[in-house]
Amino acid sequence: MSSIIDRPAATRGGVLGWLQVQLPKIVLAPTCVITIVFVYGFILWTTYLSFSRSRMFPNLGWAGTKPHENLWANPVWYKALENLAILGTLYIGIATVLGLFLATLLDQRIRQEGFIRTIYLYPMALSFIVTGTVWKWMLNPGLGIEKLMHDFGWTGFQFDWIVNSDMAIYTVVMAGVWQSSGFVMAMFLAGLRAVDDEIIKAASIDGASLPRIYVRIIFPMMRPIFLSSFVVLGHLAIKSFDLVIALTGGGPGFATELPATFMYKQTFTRNNIAVGSASAVMMLVTVAAIMVPYLYSELRAQKGVQR
Amino acid sequence: MSFHVSRPASGTQTLWRVLLYSILIFFALIYLAPLYVMVITSLKSLDEIRAGNLMLPPLDPNFDAWAKSWSAACVGVECSGISRYFFNSFKMAIPAVAISTFMGAFNGYVLTKWRFKGADIVFALILFGCFIPFQIVLVPMATILGWLGLAQTTPGLILVHVTYGLCFTTLFFRNYYQAFPDELIRAAKLDGAGFFQTFWRVLLPNSLPIVVVTVIWQFTNIWNDFLFGASFASGNAAPMTVALNNVVNTSTSVKEYNVDMASAIYAALPTLIVYVLAGRYFVRGLMAGAVKG
Amino acid sequence: MASLEVENVVKRFGPVEALKGINLSADDGEFLVLVGPSGCGKSTLLNMIAGLDSITEGRIIIDGQVVNDVHPKDRDMAMVFQSYALYPNMTVERNISFGMEMRKVPKPERDKAVMEVAKLLQIEGLLKRRPGQLSGGQRQRVAMGRALVRNPKIFLFDEPLSNLDAKLRVEMRTEIKKLHQRLGTTIVYVTHDQIEAMTLATRIAVMQNGELHQFGAPQEIYDRPANTFVAGFMGSPPMNLIPARIGKNGAGVNAEIATADERTLRLQLNGQAASLENRVNSEVLVGLRPEAITDPESRDAGAIIQEVECLVEVTEPTGPDMLAVLRLGGIEAVSRMRSSSRVRPGERAKFAVNMSKAVLFDPETEQRI
Repeated sequence: MSSIIDRPAATRGGVLGWLQVQLPKIVLAPTCVITIVFVYGFILWTTYLSFSRSRMFPNLGWAGTKPHENLWANPVWYKALENLAILGTLYIGIATVLGLFLATLLDQRIRQEGFIRTIYLYPMALSFIVTGTVWKWMLNPGLGIEKLMHDFGWTGFQFDWIVNSDMAIYTVVMAGVWQSSGFVMAMFLAGLRAVDDEIIKAASIDGASLPRIYVRIIFPMMRPIFLSSFVVLGHLAIKSFDLVIALTGGGPGFATELPATFMYKQTFTRNNIAVGSASAVMMLVTVAAIMVPYLYSELRAQKGVQR
Repeated sequence: MSFHVSRPASGTQTLWRVLLYSILIFFALIYLAPLYVMVITSLKSLDEIRAGNLMLPPLDPNFDAWAKSWSAACVGVECSGISRYFFNSFKMAIPAVAISTFMGAFNGYVLTKWRFKGADIVFALILFGCFIPFQIVLVPMATILGWLGLAQTTPGLILVHVTYGLCFTTLFFRNYYQAFPDELIRAAKLDGAGFFQTFWRVLLPNSLPIVVVTVIWQFTNIWNDFLFGASFASGNAAPMTVALNNVVNTSTSVKEYNVDMASAIYAALPTLIVYVLAGRYFVRGLMAGAVKG
Repeated sequence: MASLEVENVVKRFGPVEALKGINLSADDGEFLVLVGPSGCGKSTLLNMIAGLDSITEGRIIIDGQVVNDVHPKDRDMAMVFQSYALYPNMTVERNISFGMEMRKVPKPERDKAVMEVAKLLQIEGLLKRRPGQLSGGQRQRVAMGRALVRNPKIFLFDEPLSNLDAKLRVEMRTEIKKLHQRLGTTIVYVTHDQIEAMTLATRIAVMQNGELHQFGAPQEIYDRPANTFVAGFMGSPPMNLIPARIGKNGAGVNAEIATADERTLRLQLNGQAASLENRVNSEVLVGLRPEAITDPESRDAGAIIQEVECLVEVTEPTGPDMLAVLRLGGIEAVSRMRSSSRVRPGERAKFAVNMSKAVLFDPETEQRI
């Protein structure tokens, strides 16, 4: 694909003419500079810090791989990684399945579809801090859902996950799924809507029952949406910081620590910028491992369409 | 994808419809529950909360907690309410949204209608910025803000949000303008319009939908941000989300759940209103942000 | 192979009547084409025959058996869709065999059937590909293969050629006709293209706004359209509908047509004199196909020819012949001349009108007289 007009046919000479030709690039320049400095420059800077002797303040003294060694010797870091694995698997898995399930049901010519869809999706408009605050209150063992069940007469009911270090991470999963599954639903619903009516008719004439049509034909067609929702949710899980802070603060103890909270605490409260930077680099590597192939394939696919 | 297989509405089919609606309504109630709890708790008195039940409506609904949250809640050690932080968020979000949207529109214009060699690579490089975990930029950003004298200030946060919002706004406009007919741009050029005139007179008047999508996306993201606020402006310039977290986690006085919930409602209200008024554009933004490139 | 009957079929979507009592039938081995402008209800009718849409009133009968409440998969029909509706996640082979798989046909049998059909349609080389990797024409063949492999009682085609470019469309049209001649299966075919309808059909049903205007053999519909809509829809350029007045001329009657130069043309309607007695002095529309108004040299031998002189407004050479536009009875009438004809715009010329091909319509009811 080439430019619409590569160059004005008759260019005025001199500085003005030069400006005219370069104008588009000049307009784009601030963004390029910002990106180069604030994204790529900062990535290099942080990477450098992760090999430095920085403690409370950035310090350019070289410490070699020491901060990285410290990071990988820290049991809390392992706990954070384990939690990320649990959160990532369950959060992505449940939100995807639930989103697809609800989208499939909503696709059955539901009268109040618009209204119901609005309800499913509204949590996405909220801040994770708000979500965390509300769920923290609902999960409060003394006054929340546990007490609600006791009031209903189910006195044996126990639901103290939020203060139970074995279970607290699952409350993060719950709140996260509540917040994001509506979004996944909306993506799948859009995908289902894009399926050609005639394909379903054809399958119906071919003798497939409705559940079969979904399982054998429509769901496989949703492959790109499975991929996008995996990428979006995975990305949210790795970056998730606000939700944990508001819901559990990383506790009880280190029970719900995630790489994002670990990094923040090392950097800002434990005065260990070098180790914090090392963990940030690890986060970037993980995200890049997911995003770079995805973006590459998306941009490639897009070009394929254009040509 | 509505299709109907010609079959009389038999008993099983009616049953199936009932089941379908039941499941949908059940999930709707689950999704609504936290909002319901948030609202009714904020309308109760503290005594009623301690004695009562999470789901029961308030006996004597009143806005005391809302008033207290607004003007007397303790954010950290200072007990003058969250109103200041509510306005902080607006002071931060409005300029940041305006600047990043404006720049994104120009970027999209250049990247699609004034393409140059390497434009695709430039776009890919900008796009990658959308997906970095922001932890990777926290320390350098804090340092730079310190050098610029913008640490702990609203302008500092504006700078941060514009910087890291640009990739999204550029993405939105770039994809929108990609589908915008080149013929119109060519026609404008033949009519004698220059670079800026073409943008102002031809492209921008036809960009309303994507401007709305971008503004909503940016506003929601910036309003809801916590990480940057907590890292770069935790004091008097703190945004609403940071203030809410401080209210909830304050250790100075007794836990006032009703005030917490009222504060959460204040924090949620602007984005919820945007969502209710312009849900269609909100969803479109989410999709555009998810299905990239 | 099967016969098909459509009896008083009505379709309502809420208060809207999409089909207003359609009666049709196709004998075993017939090629029935439903033709009409978009929104006429032809696709709805096809969907109802397939069982994809419910029937509000009336009956659909296949081989003497009412199928109103029979599930599409049990009707033993196969359908080719406008968008081809190939399953994008399956290979061509799986696409073709999916219907048999759903009917639990054993794999060896399926493979054999797929190979046969692939050979018939010359798509053996494409079996392992996915629909996304095929061209429009190839997809069209796969869609036909999927229908053929089932060896159904009736084939349904829903505008199968409308997504192809002009050249390929003509090729595939011939191919479909050959297939029909070879297999002899009953076909119901929906199109908005009157040429497709004329070339393919053994019988045509012309529809508009949910009504069936005419049902008959292609030549009958072409020569003796039931009303002005059919006359205008079938044929290109369409039949000229020239306003005229019935005048008496001794024992016979004339159609009196005003020309551009304020003279009156009198065309003798000898054959129909008796039936037109009561219409003397009333207005009619004279329907003449463009080829029924031609240059005297290429007149039809044996037909009732009447020569008239008329002013030519525009000439449009098409290659094989030349169209001349005349002003007759206040409308622009088109005549089809030899390409070597020397008529010039703005000049008067002689034309031979083939009165044995003329049909008359009542301007009020728009029905043929």
